[in-house]
Amino acid sequence: MSALQQYLVLFALLIGAIGLTLSLYAFARALGRTREEAGKNVPATSGRLSVEPAWVRYHAHYLGYALLFLAFDMEMAYMYPWAVVFKEEGLVALLDMGVFLAILFLGLLYGWSQGALRRH
Amino acid sequence: MNAVLLGLGLLAGIYAVALLEDRLTRGSFAPAAPLLAGIALLARESVVARKPDRLLFETAPVLLLSAGLLAAAVLPLSPTLVLVDLASGALFVNAALAYVLVALLMAGWGPDGAYAMVAGWRFLGQVIAYSMLIVMPITAVAIRAESLLTTVIVVSQEGWWNIFYQPLGFVLFYIASLAVCFLPPFDRPIAAGELAAGVEAEYTGARLAVLRLGRMVLVVSLAAATTVFYLGGWQGPWLPPWAWGATKVLAVAASMLLAGYYLPRLREEQLLAWCWKLGIPLALLNIFVVGVMVLAGL
Repeated sequence: MSALQQYLVLFALLIGAIGLTLSLYAFARALGRTREEAGKNVPATSGRLSVEPAWVRYHAHYLGYALLFLAFDMEMAYMYPWAVVFKEEGLVALLDMGVFLAILFLGLLYGWSQGALRRH
Repeated sequence: MNAVLLGLGLLAGIYAVALLEDRLTRGSFAPAAPLLAGIALLARESVVARKPDRLLFETAPVLLLSAGLLAAAVLPLSPTLVLVDLASGALFVNAALAYVLVALLMAGWGPDGAYAMVAGWRFLGQVIAYSMLIVMPITAVAIRAESLLTTVIVVSQEGWWNIFYQPLGFVLFYIASLAVCFLPPFDRPIAAGELAAGVEAEYTGARLAVLRLGRMVLVVSLAAATTVFYLGGWQGPWLPPWAWGATKVLAVAASMLLAGYYLPRLREEQLLAWCWKLGIPLALLNIFVVGVMVLAGL
């Protein structure tokens, strides 16, 4: 199979997942419909009517981690091609990535010392 | 032909996982229970919350299901039984699993309910914690295999499985894979016992059935990924390759369902601290150690 065909198969799988979901919904619909009743569609809040809307600003208390995560996630994009050619490049590859990772790791330590790795 | 066999295999896997979960969490064993529970969910009303973001609300269950299926598609059960032997297979598993986050955030945000939304943001915190522990150990696996092809990764473990070659990577990947499928002890996004089931709170009937199915597929995919990356995939004596593959996947899935009994539940801020202060340094160490071992010709 060529790469294009492989991705076509994966795309077909995606379409299949959507088709399966839709046919399950159709089956459920054939079994019975949802009856419209007052108060039934209020989001769960343990017995009390919920204050609307729930879409308010949420304090993501892990923002320090999130910023470090961005740096590490970008770096991982380079790690995969590097990992594949690692053995043929030998020691050079180890040292190249070693220096890169050491700098990144120092960044992690610096972030840690500045209090990035805690609940804000 | 392969596709049909793999589809049947996946169905059997999902059913076995559902049975196992029933047995391990409720102590009951009724062979028809998952099927009946599924039909019961389909027969129930599927209520949509008052003022939802309809697009996100409807997309979340099918996206979770698709993410699990796409990850499973590139993982081999035997040398020939693989739907797509993608050249970037190991990376593709990562890419597919990234959509678990998107699906759960959508499910949290979509219904405009407070409990669901808190649970969705919780899962984002969990992702920031575990994500590196999925990505980095796979890199070390790729270093040894010199390829991202999942079949080549299995062949590279001939004689010495990765669980013994890089035990550190295995432990980190295993814990992270529990967090990906939000199994206990990392089940705070679906919040057993608080938040009225978290991201599942506003889902009922058929939509909930698809969401739960998606999670089952995810458990099977992650068990298959652990098998392929660390347990030598289809390798083993006497039995045919597919039987070894299936046995290992089921065994890993069972252990993943059992792990919740023995591990403490962590709030996401505690999980973040453990993963970033201990997990990531260990994962980097793992890459370095494997690199040196590969260069030393081990």
